[in-house]
Amino acid sequence: MSETQNQPNYPMIRSFSLSFAVFFLISVVALGQEKVTLNGYVRDVSNGEELIGVTVYIPKLSAGTVTNPYGFFSLTLPKGTYEIQFSYVGYSVQTITVDLQGDVERNVDMLSETTVMQEVTVTDKRVDENVVSLQMSKNTLDMNRVRKLPALFGEVDIIKNIQMLPGVITAGEGTSSFYVRGGSADQNLILIDEAPIYDPSHLFGLFSVFNADVIKDSELYKGGIPSRFGGRLSSILEVRTKDGNNKKLGVTGGIGTMASRIMVEGPLVKDKASFIVSARRSYVDLFLKAANNDNLVHFYDVNAKVNWKGNNNNRFFAAFYSGRDVFNFGNQFGFAWGNRTATFRWNHLFNERLFSNTSVILSNFDYKLELKDPVQGFKWTSNLEELSVKNDLSYFINTNNDLTFGYHITGRRFSPGRIAPNTDGSMFEEVNLQKMYALDHGIYISNQQRLTDRITLDYGLRLSIFQNLGATDIYQYTDPQDNSRPVRTDTLHYGAWENIKTYVNLEPRAAARYMLGEGQSVKVSYNRMVQNTHLIAAGTVPVPFNTWNPSSPYLKPQLADQVAAGYFRNFKDNTLEFSAEAYYKSMKDVTDFADNADIFFNQDLSTEFRQGKSWSYGLELLLNKKEGRLTGSVGYTWSKTMRKIPGVNQGQEFPANYDRRNVVNIQAAYDYNARWTFGATFSYSTGRPITLAEGKYQYQSYNPDIITSRNGYRLPDFHRLDLSATYSPKKNDARRWKGTWVFAVYNAYNRQNPFSIYTRVTKNKDGDTIGDGYTKEARMIYLFPILPSITYNIKF
Amino acid sequence: MKNIFFILLFAVVFASCDRPIHLNLNESQVRVIIEGQVTNRPGYQYVKLSRSVDFYQTGALPKITNATVSVKDSDGNEVMFIHNPNNKADSIGYYLPQTPFLGVIGKDYHLRVDVDGEIYEADDHLYPVTSVDSLAYRIDDDEKDDPKTANKFYEVLIYAKEPHPSKDYYLFKFYRNDSLKLYNDTDIYYTDDEALGESINGISTPIFYAPGDKATIEAYSLSRSGYVFYDDLQKLLNNDGGMFNQPPANSRTNLSNGALGFFQASAINSASIVVEQ
Repeated sequence: MSETQNQPNYPMIRSFSLSFAVFFLISVVALGQEKVTLNGYVRDVSNGEELIGVTVYIPKLSAGTVTNPYGFFSLTLPKGTYEIQFSYVGYSVQTITVDLQGDVERNVDMLSETTVMQEVTVTDKRVDENVVSLQMSKNTLDMNRVRKLPALFGEVDIIKNIQMLPGVITAGEGTSSFYVRGGSADQNLILIDEAPIYDPSHLFGLFSVFNADVIKDSELYKGGIPSRFGGRLSSILEVRTKDGNNKKLGVTGGIGTMASRIMVEGPLVKDKASFIVSARRSYVDLFLKAANNDNLVHFYDVNAKVNWKGNNNNRFFAAFYSGRDVFNFGNQFGFAWGNRTATFRWNHLFNERLFSNTSVILSNFDYKLELKDPVQGFKWTSNLEELSVKNDLSYFINTNNDLTFGYHITGRRFSPGRIAPNTDGSMFEEVNLQKMYALDHGIYISNQQRLTDRITLDYGLRLSIFQNLGATDIYQYTDPQDNSRPVRTDTLHYGAWENIKTYVNLEPRAAARYMLGEGQSVKVSYNRMVQNTHLIAAGTVPVPFNTWNPSSPYLKPQLADQVAAGYFRNFKDNTLEFSAEAYYKSMKDVTDFADNADIFFNQDLSTEFRQGKSWSYGLELLLNKKEGRLTGSVGYTWSKTMRKIPGVNQGQEFPANYDRRNVVNIQAAYDYNARWTFGATFSYSTGRPITLAEGKYQYQSYNPDIITSRNGYRLPDFHRLDLSATYSPKKNDARRWKGTWVFAVYNAYNRQNPFSIYTRVTKNKDGDTIGDGYTKEARMIYLFPILPSITYNIKF
Repeated sequence: MKNIFFILLFAVVFASCDRPIHLNLNESQVRVIIEGQVTNRPGYQYVKLSRSVDFYQTGALPKITNATVSVKDSDGNEVMFIHNPNNKADSIGYYLPQTPFLGVIGKDYHLRVDVDGEIYEADDHLYPVTSVDSLAYRIDDDEKDDPKTANKFYEVLIYAKEPHPSKDYYLFKFYRNDSLKLYNDTDIYYTDDEALGESINGISTPIFYAPGDKATIEAYSLSRSGYVFYDDLQKLLNNDGGMFNQPPANSRTNLSNGALGFFQASAINSASIVVEQ
């Protein structure tokens, strides 16, 4: 048994002793058995990339495990000879025979099916992970399939694919925001290599910050969320990037209608160390119709990673991401925002059964706005910075028990903004909104236990301790909710690191899977989630300028309790997966703004916060065909989400902005022959609710609407068909590179899908009022007509 | 002022495509609309009463002509307002003071309206207003390149001293040749003194003039609730349907019993200039 070298600081000592104590106890118990351990990493033979979530199955024992997010597995078994099957989507099943008389370290290489050019015939029996795995309410994106599907402007976007999963609702087109099982857009924790991304969108959601070339794995947890995750109520989107080909140098690139990208990967030391760097930049602002030639709109992403995997016992990784959006309109108006993250990670094997991951993570999200005007000119800058240290340990006790435990500590600094005049004549004065600080602790422990052949349980507990700290001034009000005329009675000064408010919450998590028979199972789960970092969105589409706030004396943590139950069944030798899941989620203290809130530069913003309850329930059906020339999925979701918040809609319940009753998503990819692949996606959803007038009146020369109820109207339904064709010409042996053409059409039947509706006095095309100026009209905004695109991808 | 960039953002990024759509709305509940004004300038006192209509209704609002309207000040003086006392065709629904009446800075005013037995009341305080010290004018080059109204690209500059240290709110009205003008039909020109500095030093008007035009600038003082009302009204008029900014909501008002509109007590200062070449 070894100890880690670092001596932790105070907050870490408590949690470290806890994990150490547990570890010691369990190894004492385990020592008494006559068992040996087989462990190792599972990799792709062509590039050395570790594979996440590979099913490792022992037919003799009807037991197995799954590789962890670093590709590691560990099986503790009685001595003997075993045949062990490794299976993973998109790869040929690998079977090894091992004679276990002592502890064995064995890395396993798997062969990707896409590197095998001929038609794949299904001969090996596949392990039915959909049915057998305990994890429910989770969707893993199959990156190989994602690349065959149509993409907007040819840019493959994992968030658009996430938006097509059952249980996930979108606000509409052109936004990267997504809503999972009744949760608002800020209730999703989006991680890239464990670092949080606060705004995953480029160009307001036209594209996402994830460059698909560099993505290895994407998983969305919608329910039954494992104890190692916390911080958001509704979902965890965990994206992991490739480590880099450690066998040979490779270059991949693509030139598209909107953006181009390039990726370089290769070994630094063959089989031991590798790097990967990728960059993507857009260059054409096709969708902006402004006549001004001085407009400049672009975004870029850079991902870089370097790793050293010399041996199985110690592995080191460093990953970086930086991305930015820049908009400049003429010389007048500009805004920009971006995310930057860095993750330093150390994987360590204490012994064959105890795997540890220690990460130090930095994340910075910033945005700025500038208006250049001699009278009203100003510049506004704001950012959110985060530093985290995490230690996650997996103790593979035996084939019946997998223990995971760990602690996370995160410090955050919120700088909501500084507004300063940017010209001498500007009428603005410099205003600084107060910075806010928080220290977020999470300690968890959970065990996945195989009780019997049919029943597996997962139970765990997470403790969340959230501290809102100074240096900050907290204002006290005669009425903390009076936002018309906030009256401060006192100002409390808190010094640096001084505790202002602490919120402690326990988050129990439990899941169970019962095998009904071959290829069928039933799963249930319960989780409680706590959220202490809030993005109170004013509108449906969270704009970067909506600021994040920590829990504080005026903002309570949000809580969610979710129960889910599902039936899972595989057909046709596990090539066809079916799942039906129903959930109920009850949320407390969800956030909203009061009607007419003044959200910009409001020193008394806390008077505008309103919190109340929300509830959501639904049924998700999914049929997924994984094999064959035609692969694809059909998903249907029925759901309902309501909110009831005092101070909003006169305290009456109202549908959430993303309450869309019926959603259908169909994806299909067809390998026609060795040259051509066709893809299609079709989406349908019930129109989203919107707040509109019922009546109107006149005041002086103005014609305002009368608003009666929040979200009392529905936009027309949304539906869209996208098609794509990928052409891979025969490889020209004279050339060292291989090119493919992707032809795609977005919105193939040119539907004008409603984005929003606004009202105005009736005007003609030139903007002049028609008639007496009393009649009003409603106008629907729609974004994208039919959009064809061509992309050329190169691979060296 | 802070909302400008949102409007800009919305307009520029999403001016892409829109088309008319007919809404299937239910019948709306009828509300009483009260527009009341008490000032320290003669002839600027009135209360206008009307009823709201359905969204697609055509024509002006139906007026209320049989209400009982009175305004009382903090000293207890009460003045009745009579409906259209001079029987003018364009003043139906307007109630004017029965006896000559002027608001006084520093007093509170209480409005009481009785419509068919339903009572609507409001209170407002009359705050002092900044004096408009002087005006100047110059050509605005951007407007000259692309004038909204042909030949009108002179802007007027306002110089005023802003009373300190109290928190003040203002509403501005701009006239061209004695006719009230708005640059865009949903513009409201109001501000608070947080955004302003110590003095208003050459702030330009949003309205443009041609040589020979007479420019008049009126400054009205507002109470905090008046400022909140106009701020809410501006958000409502310029709403994008709740995509980027909040969903629309009714303006907060100082009127009771479900009436919409506002009862405003203001002090007024004004100045004029004739623009020359």
